[in-house]
Amino acid sequence: MQFVSILIAGILINNFIFVKFLGICPFLGVSQKVETAVGMGVAVTFVMTVASGVTWLIQHYILEQFGIPFMQTVAFILVVAALVQFVEMVIQKVSPTLYQALGVYLPLITTNCAVLGVTVLNIQADYNFFYAMVNGFASALGFLLAITLMAGVREKLAFSSIPKALQGFPMAFITAGLMAMAFYGFQGLFKDFLIL
Amino acid sequence: MDELKLIVQAPPHIRSPLTTKKIMFTVVLALIPAASAGVVFFGMRALLHMVLSIASAVITEFVLQRLLRKKVTISDGSAVLTGLLLGMNLPVTAPLWIGVVGSAFAISIVKHAFGGLGQNFMNPALAARAMLMAAWPSQMVQWVTPLDAIATATPLAIAKAGIPDTATLPLLWDMFIGFIGGSIGETSALALLVGGIYLIYKELIDYRIPLAYLGTVFILASVFGADGLNSGIFHLLAGGVMIGAIFMATDYVTSPSTASGRWIYGIGCGLITIMIRFWGSYPEGVSFSILLMNIVAPLIERFTVPRKFGEVKKK
Amino acid sequence: MNNKYLKTLTNGLVTENPLFRLVLGTCPALAVTSAVENGFWMGVMVTFVLTCSNVLISLLRKVIPAKIRIPCFIVIIATFVTIVDLVMEAYLPAMHKTLGIFIPLIVVNCIILARAESFASKNAVALSAVDGIGMGLGFMSALMIVATFREILGNGTFFGFHVMGEGFPVAKIMVQAPGAFLTLGLVLGAINLVANHKKAA
Repeated sequence: MQFVSILIAGILINNFIFVKFLGICPFLGVSQKVETAVGMGVAVTFVMTVASGVTWLIQHYILEQFGIPFMQTVAFILVVAALVQFVEMVIQKVSPTLYQALGVYLPLITTNCAVLGVTVLNIQADYNFFYAMVNGFASALGFLLAITLMAGVREKLAFSSIPKALQGFPMAFITAGLMAMAFYGFQGLFKDFLIL
Repeated sequence: MDELKLIVQAPPHIRSPLTTKKIMFTVVLALIPAASAGVVFFGMRALLHMVLSIASAVITEFVLQRLLRKKVTISDGSAVLTGLLLGMNLPVTAPLWIGVVGSAFAISIVKHAFGGLGQNFMNPALAARAMLMAAWPSQMVQWVTPLDAIATATPLAIAKAGIPDTATLPLLWDMFIGFIGGSIGETSALALLVGGIYLIYKELIDYRIPLAYLGTVFILASVFGADGLNSGIFHLLAGGVMIGAIFMATDYVTSPSTASGRWIYGIGCGLITIMIRFWGSYPEGVSFSILLMNIVAPLIERFTVPRKFGEVKKK
Repeated sequence: MNNKYLKTLTNGLVTENPLFRLVLGTCPALAVTSAVENGFWMGVMVTFVLTCSNVLISLLRKVIPAKIRIPCFIVIIATFVTIVDLVMEAYLPAMHKTLGIFIPLIVVNCIILARAESFASKNAVALSAVDGIGMGLGFMSALMIVATFREILGNGTFFGFHVMGEGFPVAKIMVQAPGAFLTLGLVLGAINLVANHKKAA
């Protein structure tokens, strides 16, 4: 039951983009086309899930064992950086088109606040190993949902005559704001059933 | 060799008497029964709200289009319609400036920031209502009973607060006529249906969306509700589902343009409305569900594109 | 000589303001701008980390091998972030709690890594320090500007002090998520408008 709760909470109620403000840079940078957005979302999902697991292990078996919890920031970000390097190599092999399309945003997954964010949040929430990874996975799905929806809307907006001063980032933020407003509807969803 | 005599005429070659102006004002006409019911039930203040909202919408559009150096199109009636819809979505007790602010927001940000008529991705009136609810929650939920203006809760709020007790819930017949607490234009299912049938007759709205939306709400409410079919009818008549399904979800600009897309869209709206009503924090889910489906609409459209003429499906 | 430093300083403050012109550091910009005070402290911390890391990276720029420079930068930045995190927790625990997860997230604030890569690794120490200060203060002012709108309209206060009258109907949405996006979008739009005007002039 907690599994489902974390899933629903991660994707809809505490959506990383619309509620927690994590992962905004790629959300804005890679959401012009649906295919690329989905590709980025999937890559991020992989990184976030695996990173959640690895950082949990490091926190509990290294940092706390040796009494150096303050090294969390340094250790976690290095794990993320290494993982992203690995994912980059895999994508380059498996799908060169996606690799091209994601361009500079692929190594930038390292600086995606959502990745480091979820690893720190997992520790703060005191999840065990399994739920830490579930949370990483769910939060990433929330990111994937947000970026895909945004891409759908932006593809439609590509033909609009937006006022010059608002073109680009301002419009992306305004759009995201309206979407965030709509996502309010999910607040408190299933709260009588959810165990978090 | 005969020389082909070709008559060259400038397009368009098929003309329709339907102009934007005609469409907008016909929809306004269809809303008159419900708007009048609102004035009868809630008094002159209701009329004032609607007038102020319309005025704010039109003035905002005029000022904006002047500033942006675009052609002023206030006479096409779209701002009037947005203003009217927003006004009808307000509780009569709300402060008079709320409709003004809401309309300004709807026209400037939800409509013109995106390029103007036909280019918005969210229904302006509904987005404005959601914004007002988020910005000034307490001012937006002071409901009163029709005619005698005693403070009350909407049927949905009563249902949300506890187990539906047929003694405290209004009679279904009252709900049909509109004799309940609610926003100015949403209470009378009867008046709204009259308007809706008129619009379908005039072929200005596609029957698919209201049918899918209302159908889904009815079926899900009957299945999950405490009272079977009565719950189904209750949820059709309660809250903003009628006005939402007939007048907001059917907005051409923000809903999918494919037939199958429209079915999906309508069902989606119904699904989310029931989800929020039964299992979410808010008593009413219509605004959020339509806005959420507005967001999904472009994706629905993409995936329901009909096959091009002659195209064979790849096996 | 002076001119170069002044130019670098104003670059970070205005011309290439990291938030308003380069659109970097957007995650904290949305999260901490619900109150001007939060924006202020985040700005202070970012300025500190940015300046220190710029200085250290500039000092070591001839020594760090090019192939592994990014991980090296990250370790340096992470170290300074850990320092501010612990200092904040010790001396300003309430603000530390308010800013929460966005303190460790300073390490992935694109501004810092971007300046390390594009400026500190290529310039002398003193100039890099000035760049750090300029960019940091630019970020801080940008945060505080956005926060001003959000706090006044959404809470009726500025830096915690009541500035709007009793009857002012605060728009709650301003201090919530949608308000954050909308405010930042509109402020960016306004700045674009001014910048476009200047270009045309």
